[in-house]
Amino acid sequence: MKFDPALALHSLSAMLHGLLVTIALAALVVALGLAISIPLAVARNSQRPVLAWPAAAYVIFFRGTPAMILLFLVYFGFGQVFGARDGLLGALFSNAFLCAVIGFTLNHSSYVTEIVRGGLLAVPKGLEEAAAALGIEPRDVFLRIRLPLAIRYGLKAYQNEVILFTKATAVVSVITVVDLTAVANNIFYDTYDPFTPLLTAAAFYWVLVNVIRFGLARFDGWLNVHLVADEQRDRVVMVRADGAVPRPIATAGISEAAE
Amino acid sequence: MPLNDLIGYFEQLLTGAVITVELAFSGYALALTVGVAWALLRRLGNPVVTAVWRVYGSIFMGVPSVLVIFLLYYGGSAILGGLLGLIGLRARIDVTPFQAGLAALTIVQGAYAAEVVSGAMRNVPRGQFEAARALGIRPYQAWWYVIMPQVARLALPGLTNIWISVLKDTALVALAGLNEIVARSRTAAGATKEPFLFFIAAALFFIVISAATLKFSARLERRLDRGVARPAVAGGRA
Repeated sequence: MKFDPALALHSLSAMLHGLLVTIALAALVVALGLAISIPLAVARNSQRPVLAWPAAAYVIFFRGTPAMILLFLVYFGFGQVFGARDGLLGALFSNAFLCAVIGFTLNHSSYVTEIVRGGLLAVPKGLEEAAAALGIEPRDVFLRIRLPLAIRYGLKAYQNEVILFTKATAVVSVITVVDLTAVANNIFYDTYDPFTPLLTAAAFYWVLVNVIRFGLARFDGWLNVHLVADEQRDRVVMVRADGAVPRPIATAGISEAAE
Repeated sequence: MPLNDLIGYFEQLLTGAVITVELAFSGYALALTVGVAWALLRRLGNPVVTAVWRVYGSIFMGVPSVLVIFLLYYGGSAILGGLLGLIGLRARIDVTPFQAGLAALTIVQGAYAAEVVSGAMRNVPRGQFEAARALGIRPYQAWWYVIMPQVARLALPGLTNIWISVLKDTALVALAGLNEIVARSRTAAGATKEPFLFFIAAALFFIVISAATLKFSARLERRLDRGVARPAVAGGRA
């Protein structure tokens, strides 16, 4: 039970390559997830059953299933049907990395859909009515008023989901993609030293997760500059009043609405 | 014939499902215990406890569960041997995939549970503690009869989410060789060349349990909330 710095150093370039695969996978899925989940959230909130029902079914199925099963479904299922064929579908489903992107996107986008939907529902009705009364077109009401607010309300939950999903990519080796965890596992099989490669990989994941956390927290702070100022003001007042740890008044409604 | 394949493998899948449920239940019970213990310890406000919690929480919420499972499975007997060595014992204990998975789920989900329970404890109004003391209720009785029921109410949604992630995380233990439902459906899919049939069957197993959980949780929530009138606000919980 010991850490071997020489082995860690020796395997560093392989580890970094694995990290790059993990980051590329996560980045692609995050981008696709956002692109898919905004229309899905709108469909799920729709009054028309034709739109709302399929979106609800999508969320229930892909959110309730462990990512590993989705990877198997895409890689072994669709891969078997389309993988041997020529053309775009064949190229798509015979590539394990692209199958991983699809599998994780199905899972991640269903979570993000629920976050965006919650954010959209939390936008006060009055804002929408005021915008309509001012004669702003429905499309602009959505794009410039409801969506930006929904993003602001949902950002904290979104941050958690991106982190959870980035960690979940560690199972991707089940469909032969060599990511950071797979590299660490291969080093273990070669050396029979579980601690050095797994702890090194863990350190890389930890840094990656905290970079994401920090980045999105900065973005959140930038979006909510006005609220942070209020919060600090409240804190000064309340600490003077009774010495209690303050509950930020200005953000209370918003953080609760986002949950 | 797909239907015959499903019938042929049904017993296999059922055995796998039982293992999954066993692991999920025991993992959740232990994670909850760890979470409540951490939350109570953190309330002491001891700086050493706080520092240890920060390191524990940051590591296990910042690292994939799979890595923790691998570390405890591949390195488990070395870790246990080292720990026993500290008290002067020399023994070799082999770790099964189930034990490694259970330990990993407990450690990782225990951190998330600690966050949920701590948050719930913070949100119990301070007046409840003061009132209990003013009435002369002994501290442990106050915790058991006054504070904890309110903590349970406030923590319920978060703890429901943790149960669902414990359930889904059991699939990861298949990578350490546990023959649970996902591993068995993969074997069946490979042998019969019917991937859709078996993977969708496995997926439905998880979805049905999640759906049942949410129904049960909603009922429990109504029961725990019976003393609290809630304003009908769309969106968040008051």
